[in-house]
Amino acid sequence: MKRSPPPEKGDSHHVPVAGGDTAPATGRGLQTNGDCHLFPRSTGFWAEAWRRFRRRKLALAAVAFIGGLVLTALLAPAIAGTKPVLCRYKGRIYAPCLGYFRRDLEPAIFTKDRFRGTYPRNLAEKDPESWAVWPLVFQDPSRSVRADEWPGEPANPARDEGRPSRRNLFGTDQAGVDVFAKMVHGTTIALLVGFVSMGIAGSIGIVMGALGGYCGGWVDILTSRITEIVMCIPTLVLILAVIAVIEKPTIWHTMAIIGATGWTGIARLTRGEFLRLKGAEFVLAARAAGAGPVRIMLRHILPNALAPVLVPITFGIASAVLLESSLSFLGFGAPPPTASWGSILNDARGNLAMWWLVVFPGAAIFLTVLAYNLIGEALQEATDPRLREARK
Amino acid sequence: MDRASRVERRRRFLAEAGIGLLALAGVAGCGRREADPLASVRPEPAAAEAARTEPVTPPAERTPEPFDPPALADLDRTATWIDRPVRDGLVLLREEQGREPAVATVAEALALANDSPAANATILAALGRLPEPGQADLGARVDRHVTGDLGSTNPIMISTSAEFDILGLTGFGLFSFDRRLEPFATSDTVASWQTSTDGLVDKVVLRDDLVWSDGKPITAHDIAFTYRVIMDPRVPVPAVRSGTDQLRWVHAYDDRTIVFFHREPLATNVWNINFPVLPRHVYDATWEADPTLKDSPEHVALEQAPVVGGPYEIVERQRGQQIVLRRRESWSTVRGKQVREPPFFKEVRFRIVEDPNTTLLALKSGEIDEMVLLPEQWTTQTKGPDFYDRNTKVTAPEWVSFHFGWNIDTPFFADRRVRRAMTYAFDHDAMLSRLCYGLYEPAAGPFHHTSWMAPRKKPEPSKQDLDKAEALLDEAGWVDHDNDGVRDKQINGRPVPFEFTILVNQQPLRVAICTLLKENLDQIGVRVNVRPTESTVLQQLTQEKKFQAYLGGWGAGTDPDTTENVWATGAGRNFIGYSNPEVDRLFAEGRRELDRAKRAEKYARIQEILHDDQPYTWLYWRNSFYGFSKSLRGYVFSPRGPYHYSPGFASLWTPRQD
Repeated sequence: MKRSPPPEKGDSHHVPVAGGDTAPATGRGLQTNGDCHLFPRSTGFWAEAWRRFRRRKLALAAVAFIGGLVLTALLAPAIAGTKPVLCRYKGRIYAPCLGYFRRDLEPAIFTKDRFRGTYPRNLAEKDPESWAVWPLVFQDPSRSVRADEWPGEPANPARDEGRPSRRNLFGTDQAGVDVFAKMVHGTTIALLVGFVSMGIAGSIGIVMGALGGYCGGWVDILTSRITEIVMCIPTLVLILAVIAVIEKPTIWHTMAIIGATGWTGIARLTRGEFLRLKGAEFVLAARAAGAGPVRIMLRHILPNALAPVLVPITFGIASAVLLESSLSFLGFGAPPPTASWGSILNDARGNLAMWWLVVFPGAAIFLTVLAYNLIGEALQEATDPRLREARK
Repeated sequence: MDRASRVERRRRFLAEAGIGLLALAGVAGCGRREADPLASVRPEPAAAEAARTEPVTPPAERTPEPFDPPALADLDRTATWIDRPVRDGLVLLREEQGREPAVATVAEALALANDSPAANATILAALGRLPEPGQADLGARVDRHVTGDLGSTNPIMISTSAEFDILGLTGFGLFSFDRRLEPFATSDTVASWQTSTDGLVDKVVLRDDLVWSDGKPITAHDIAFTYRVIMDPRVPVPAVRSGTDQLRWVHAYDDRTIVFFHREPLATNVWNINFPVLPRHVYDATWEADPTLKDSPEHVALEQAPVVGGPYEIVERQRGQQIVLRRRESWSTVRGKQVREPPFFKEVRFRIVEDPNTTLLALKSGEIDEMVLLPEQWTTQTKGPDFYDRNTKVTAPEWVSFHFGWNIDTPFFADRRVRRAMTYAFDHDAMLSRLCYGLYEPAAGPFHHTSWMAPRKKPEPSKQDLDKAEALLDEAGWVDHDNDGVRDKQINGRPVPFEFTILVNQQPLRVAICTLLKENLDQIGVRVNVRPTESTVLQQLTQEKKFQAYLGGWGAGTDPDTTENVWATGAGRNFIGYSNPEVDRLFAEGRRELDRAKRAEKYARIQEILHDDQPYTWLYWRNSFYGFSKSLRGYVFSPRGPYHYSPGFASLWTPRQD
């Protein structure tokens, strides 16, 4: 796992920094503003990594898949919903679909005057001049579509009768809620959980690891012990306990806890990298040039230590997605009727004959976790020179 | 706070924590009755489902003052005795069935698929019959299903439904009630039962052929002793103290004569004298030293192998897996003579399975012989030959109802108009047809419409009417003044948006019902947050009144007076803070009124008042849905299900294989 920097490529470890305090890592006695044309500038470390990453078709497909998920999450209200994306009503233009992101972004005019959030008929009846741009699929992620809500269309089938059909692409659950709409809107949670929780874990882990690794001594002892203590906390149990205690548990609490307990592996890796790099020549040079410890840590060591740290973060995202799904499966996820992939699986538990409640969310979770793992693996190989050598 | 009361408080806490764990074990079962933290009633030892929501009231109120009972001769001289019924539930049922014509043969009923009310009636009538002499296999074993383990095998610690199921078979009792909930003394244990004309004294003479499982005789002293233990504030009794605490005193005059003294002549006295019994010779020396009845080494040993007085004894207990009961020969044969009919099953094995889907698989594969079916299972997973090969299923009305409870102490629900608006806003039809698969009946009040205490005119089931709901909310001042899409109202000079949280247990059906309420209220500018809550937490929050609304349920008690602690001002289970002096008065009058018809009028009036006030939005009556192995016969349903009455489980049998 440890990457030993080839001395002649010292420059590639070093993100070029503006300013004269950047000592060349080669230590060949060149001036700091030495002529670059003497040595043809090698491609940067990250450019090199990207070049190697690009070679892996599966990893690229995985990146594209995650990108697609991000797009789906952002455009969810335009893909499936019962609120117009854009509409003109009584002389003004509104975007009621934003209500899917935040309830209070939906204009109040659509809750008054017995409008009752039912758009298709009310728009036409209350303002014949109105027009609306509708989402691609007229289905709601939190409720069943009522009979004749969209003129001429029947109500969603409920109980165990909601097989996939033209109206309900992925079928409906027992209460008649469209599974496709639920999955499209559930993408947000699946993505957020991974990024937010690992964002938190990454920040904590890198700070702890950097401090411990660079400072050494009692700081190192302290951070290492804290890391060991946090490793002992069972995340699932903690989440269940916190959900029971707080007044209004939301998905953000879950993410915060996953983040606050999932940083230990990252901290240990970062500490190892910092321990290794703090003796490197370029650090010595930076120190000799008068750079303070914070500057050395952030600008000199961190960029070089980041690559191995990114790998556990990527795998962490995958496991956070799985953890959220299992929580929802157990009924401790986002409060209902917030759609989440795991909660659809939970609905399937009551009646396994409704295969569409298992197959679609199951496949989505599987593919997402697979994608993150492929990206993680590719990242590892692209940034680890020893693996790179082995591949050749 | 002195030390003793601190110790007591801690003990009670421990006791409640223990109950909590049991309740938790029930939750994952999703839908067995044990999973209803709020479906509970005052316990009757032979029956009653989980009374674990019974709040433990301060001990000071409970301790009976010393009482100097009059001599028996004086009592007999001054009191005029009326004989009360002493019966055998099985004989009663047999007589009743003897009057019914046979509808179909057993073979015909077993071949039927239960897909219509007519088929259900046929199956119930043909398979519910008791055996002819010699027809039952007395060596048979039945595998029953419970969703949670026992908290304790001590009968006075009885609290959850699993405990009532199991300890009901091992426990000794004097009284029971038939499937119309008419009380009587059981002829298995009682020789005579008399009540004084002033209603203040009950005198019971025990039979002289009763022995505990260790061979010692069961006497009246055991009953008087148990009364003292139950009423001792140091003993953490979770449920059975309620009711028993209405008694003035219990005194044993000799080995067979036990007299119950009441404080007042109440219609409910007949239920208050019904409590489980402990063997005095076993606990007399140990209980004062360890009032928890479970911590000392002696009590730990007793917990494993209790000395019991009922027809069955516990022979094997694997925690979290199964509990095996065997027929106790010393119940039916005393001093070499058969004195009682032995129960039909030689062995009763209780399998503990939490998950309803696993349970259904176990039923289909023949590992268990009976289970409660969820509406979804009844409708979609028990139609094919994989189910009917070994099993059949039946349904019957049961008096368990569910409701939204509105906390009247919050600014939202103090106004009756708002509570009525909630009822009008909710889409009752969608709930009943879509979520409950059309299997449950709508509820509109606390008393089941087939019960004697309900008004003769069946209340109209509620229907969704958003126009009425909006009009009522407007009238109550909840209007969207600030144009943010949410109704609000100035309260103490501050605008309060109409947004509240509803607590619900994690069972999918109940969460779906709350989600439906959210959807409905969202349409009229009221925001709801649905919060699925682990059932012990839910129970605690409701008891501490830390909620705005909740979804819960109550099982019916044997007597309408058991609902007083839900509705009377300041009562223990009046979580929503309802208070209406007229209701309080009617309950007090109803308890003192001994004439059934006049009592019924009082309770009918209560139901009308409650319907007007809508402190609850009543949702549905949850009927019984059971799957039974085709080898079982004799199941007969009461308003409290097939087991929790007399004969209840004792009427089940398996035919002899010849």
